[in-house]
Amino acid sequence: MHKELVDVERVSLYKSKNMSKYTEDDLKVELENKEYEYGFYTDIESETFPAGLNEDIVRAISKKKNEPQWMTDWRLEAFRAWQQMEEPEWANVNYEKPDFQAVSYYSAPKKKDKYASLDEVDPELLETFKKLGISLDEQKKLAGVAMDIVVDSVSVATTFKKTLAEKGIIFMSISEAIQEHPELVKKYLGTVVPQKDNFYAALNSAVFSDGSFCYIPKGVRCPMELSTYFRINQGGTGQFERTLVIADEGSYVSYLEGCTAPSRDENQLHAAVVELIALDDAEIKYSTVQNWYPGNKEGKGGVFNFVTKRGLCEKNAKISWTQVETGSAVTWKYPSCVLKGDNSIGEFYSIAVTNNFQQADTGTKMIHLGKNTKSTIISKGISAGKSQNSYRGLVQIGARAENARNFSQCDSLLMGNNCGAHTFPYIESKNASAKIEHEATTSKIGEDQVFYCNQRGIPTEKAIALIVNGFSKEVLNKLPMEFAVEAQKLLEISLEGSVG
Amino acid sequence: MELKEKMLASFMAFEEKIKDNEDLHEVRNHAIKNFENKGFPTKKEEAWKYTSLNAILKNDFSVFPKKDNAIEFKDVKKYFLHEIDTYKVVFIDGIFSSFLSSTTHEGLDVCLMSSALTKPKYKMVIDTYFNQIASKEESLTSLNTAFSLEGAYINIPKSKVVEKPIEIIYFSTGNEAALMVQPRNLVIVGENAHVQIVERHQSLNSNPVLTNSVTEIFAQKRAIVDYYKIQNDVQTANLIDNTYIAQKQESRVAVHTFSFGGNITRNNLNFYHQGERIDSTLKGITIIGDKQHVDHYTLVHHAQPNCESHQNYKTILDGQSTGVFNGKIYVEKEAQKTDAFQQNNNILIGDKATINAKPQLEIFADDVKCSHGCTIGQLDESAMFYMQQRGIPKKEAKALLMYAFTSEVTSSIKIPELKAKIARIIADKLGVKMGFDL
Amino acid sequence: MLQIKNLHASVEDKDILKGINLEIKAGEVHAIMGPNGAGKSTLSSIIAGNENYEVTEGEIFLDGEEISELAPEERAHKGVFLSFQYPVEIPGVSVTNFIKTAINEKRKANGEEEMPANEMLKKIREKSELLEMDRKFLSRSLNEGFSGGEKKRNEIFQMAMLEPKIAILDETDSGLDIDALRIVANGVNKLKNENNAVLVITHYQRLLDYIVPDFVHVLMDGKIVKTGGADLALELEEKGYDWIKQEQTA
Repeated sequence: MHKELVDVERVSLYKSKNMSKYTEDDLKVELENKEYEYGFYTDIESETFPAGLNEDIVRAISKKKNEPQWMTDWRLEAFRAWQQMEEPEWANVNYEKPDFQAVSYYSAPKKKDKYASLDEVDPELLETFKKLGISLDEQKKLAGVAMDIVVDSVSVATTFKKTLAEKGIIFMSISEAIQEHPELVKKYLGTVVPQKDNFYAALNSAVFSDGSFCYIPKGVRCPMELSTYFRINQGGTGQFERTLVIADEGSYVSYLEGCTAPSRDENQLHAAVVELIALDDAEIKYSTVQNWYPGNKEGKGGVFNFVTKRGLCEKNAKISWTQVETGSAVTWKYPSCVLKGDNSIGEFYSIAVTNNFQQADTGTKMIHLGKNTKSTIISKGISAGKSQNSYRGLVQIGARAENARNFSQCDSLLMGNNCGAHTFPYIESKNASAKIEHEATTSKIGEDQVFYCNQRGIPTEKAIALIVNGFSKEVLNKLPMEFAVEAQKLLEISLEGSVG
Repeated sequence: MELKEKMLASFMAFEEKIKDNEDLHEVRNHAIKNFENKGFPTKKEEAWKYTSLNAILKNDFSVFPKKDNAIEFKDVKKYFLHEIDTYKVVFIDGIFSSFLSSTTHEGLDVCLMSSALTKPKYKMVIDTYFNQIASKEESLTSLNTAFSLEGAYINIPKSKVVEKPIEIIYFSTGNEAALMVQPRNLVIVGENAHVQIVERHQSLNSNPVLTNSVTEIFAQKRAIVDYYKIQNDVQTANLIDNTYIAQKQESRVAVHTFSFGGNITRNNLNFYHQGERIDSTLKGITIIGDKQHVDHYTLVHHAQPNCESHQNYKTILDGQSTGVFNGKIYVEKEAQKTDAFQQNNNILIGDKATINAKPQLEIFADDVKCSHGCTIGQLDESAMFYMQQRGIPKKEAKALLMYAFTSEVTSSIKIPELKAKIARIIADKLGVKMGFDL
Repeated sequence: MLQIKNLHASVEDKDILKGINLEIKAGEVHAIMGPNGAGKSTLSSIIAGNENYEVTEGEIFLDGEEISELAPEERAHKGVFLSFQYPVEIPGVSVTNFIKTAINEKRKANGEEEMPANEMLKKIREKSELLEMDRKFLSRSLNEGFSGGEKKRNEIFQMAMLEPKIAILDETDSGLDIDALRIVANGVNKLKNENNAVLVITHYQRLLDYIVPDFVHVLMDGKIVKTGGADLALELEEKGYDWIKQEQTA
């Protein structure tokens, strides 16, 4: 286990104030704000490409970003593959397929070439950050979370670059990385999630406009949480960010990712790709709080969240995915680990909450290839309203993966009688020395539990929140502190009004 | 000619030969059309992801076996529960053997599907039950429906407790180079009635056989049905067993499946609930080796409140064998207070053995207790060492542990003679003489 | 303090309570005894506001205020505490977190500030010592995997933390060994003062050796059929409930 550095005072991603001072009154105010909290739209002058997708658009995106030829070719290759592919239908979700020609594939806050300092950032945009609770000023002062912010498709601010550079850590937008560290990008991009991996990954590979890039040199422990904050702002656009994290031998990094989008009646498309590479003895901890706009109570609008996340573990490496999924109208997401190296470890901790008409089909794949590889899966699904919540997972033990171990636990909590909870685990073992344990349960919040809380003076709504938090605790515990508080609040807000 | 084409061509000849009533003709034609559209299942289908029929289907199966393949009772005695008196419905190469059978019409019907399908006095029963619960979508079930002719017909009237177990045995003699048979069984158990049935498929030599069997079981109010399937066939025999069970309120149906033999065995076991306070039990033991393949595909469809289901499947895989467990618990919105449990434990002994498991829950009701557990592992080494230290040879110790591993399933066999028989088969499979009491 | 007038109640259309009258003054300890099925637990559930029971007639006053229409948490905020016969498990929620939430909800309802963290910690320490509870116990999930004794101790710990006006102990002695019983009773006695009151509901007299009641009421078939002092409990223990029944019919 890695200890956090005590001399670094960290701040929350969303709230710059100290979370421990977060009071019940704050909660009350938030709970009163039942509608999606981050649903404002910022009127920033932005540059948006016309809707539609063809090779010219792909070239134009590449050109706009001043990319080298190899990158343009890589995108085109992906685009051509994508044209031959069909949108997958095996997931347990129903939605109207997006019209991929009606989406604009590039939207950027209009800007000068680059921000030399925060002062040059569009004041409207800074205002947006304030509403999101991110004060870059404050962030700068407090040695805290180094952050990359991606609005619509473009990275607008990366803080702490300098502090990190001293340790040789590269943390920048991926478009910058393509310019400044082409050798690293070229070497690793698409090695874990190939362009043709799946329909959405291919689309992303063709049109991704930005995202984060991170490289931790050999033996370096990244002294702070690295974090990317994603926001879809412009209407009619899709967000296709690409994240690439490389932890070189013996290094460690903890990476946080947060997402919001304005409330819109239309469905917005988010198709991201995240690739993690943990070289020998390295460790990557990747935490996500996904709170894209889920659509309104009638199921109108909301983000389609089709995400491919995968990590590759070399010898003795460890990758740990933790996710809190409360947003999006439709989620299709399976953060996975390829345990290639001997003794490597993969972990997946997930809370997925669906309410109203949300649909989530999420889980993980643990591919055991190396000897003595271990994986742990803890998944907590909470369904309310008329939502459908599915866990879909694969544990695969290859013929050479001697002594592979897996433990999986999938628990579902149903709230109300109009929702569904589904568990689809696939377990495949070709090695006689494998030890696999899988458990799944389904339960509800007991009336007796609620009455017990009531009797001790805790109102029903709060009691539900308490019970849900308890149910999710094993996963919440895996989140970095400030994220955990945020996640707990999100759970409460997401389940607002779900109990009559 | 591909087997699919052959089946379609044979169907015309088949329809010519038998004189069906109009309703049955309709049912068969509908079924063959579904099979024609879908063909034999392939691995591309989610339900057949882990089992491929390609290799089997290459055989040039004869579809209409010749008659008169007699066998002597003494040669096959061991396949019967010969220690006790039973009703017997026996088929040789798909043809009823009156010589080996012991049927009845006294107080209950234990007889032939062919009579039930053709004789007017059964028409009402056939109209009410035949092909009512069997899938009209699943292509192999449709194929069976199209060719349904022979099998066991069992009808137990209200409140009848059947004293003797009923044995249904299908022998194949191997007189054909390759044989495909499609038995069709119909079991109706009346209100408050109780019956025990043992079903077995057995080849008598090593010519390839493909059995595509469909059984429909109707358990009326408060009926109790114990159904045992013994699958200990030679390694050239293939079995696709499709069993569909409809349960009315307060009925209790238990199906035990013992899969020890065969080349490819696929068990599709489907329970449908049509009343409250139903109890369903699905248990199985699979012990295979070499290149054998056993696939259990179960569904329990909870559609009514206050019902229970219990599943427990144990698998031991040696050699290069493959085991598949695909179990689904489906709980509809109306099925409040469902208590559904599913357990699947697997032990891999062979270095090249493969297990694929997919235990699924699909839950639409909130006040339910549903869980599944699935484990893959090895024998407990400390227990092995403990026994060896006490002087039990390694092989016996291993067998003892494996036997213990299966005991949760064997312990609920209600017919003592059958229990002993299963224990003997297990001992035989594990290659030891059990010195302890089974 | 607590006044119950002509209380009738039913569950699923079955009448359980058939006219209960009871007055408990500040500083008093009352015990309600009775055979199984007399309606003892129903009475405690109704005072606490369990919605599975329907009050068909009568009134419940707390400090002169009619509370039978209030939600269970509102009653709790006003000082009603029920020690459950079967405390429920809430997985993942620690004892500390739970009691912190409960206390702050009560304070919020009464227009008070949240209890400062250090004060909370001090109080938790103090009260857990009173109940001889291990510190580790406080970080365990609420009632999950607790032994019978631990569950009951935890109930009295919460009572100590919440400082209710009226504490109803529903079969608190069931499942307790003699040591645990002594600890629990000792806790209750220490918490007892002239401003609060305790209502002990029990089938046996055993607990009353430790928590000595001022009044003992006998509840049979939904009615209080006899009231007496502490010695009535002893008499019941000795003679059983049948003699009262006979007395009634006689």
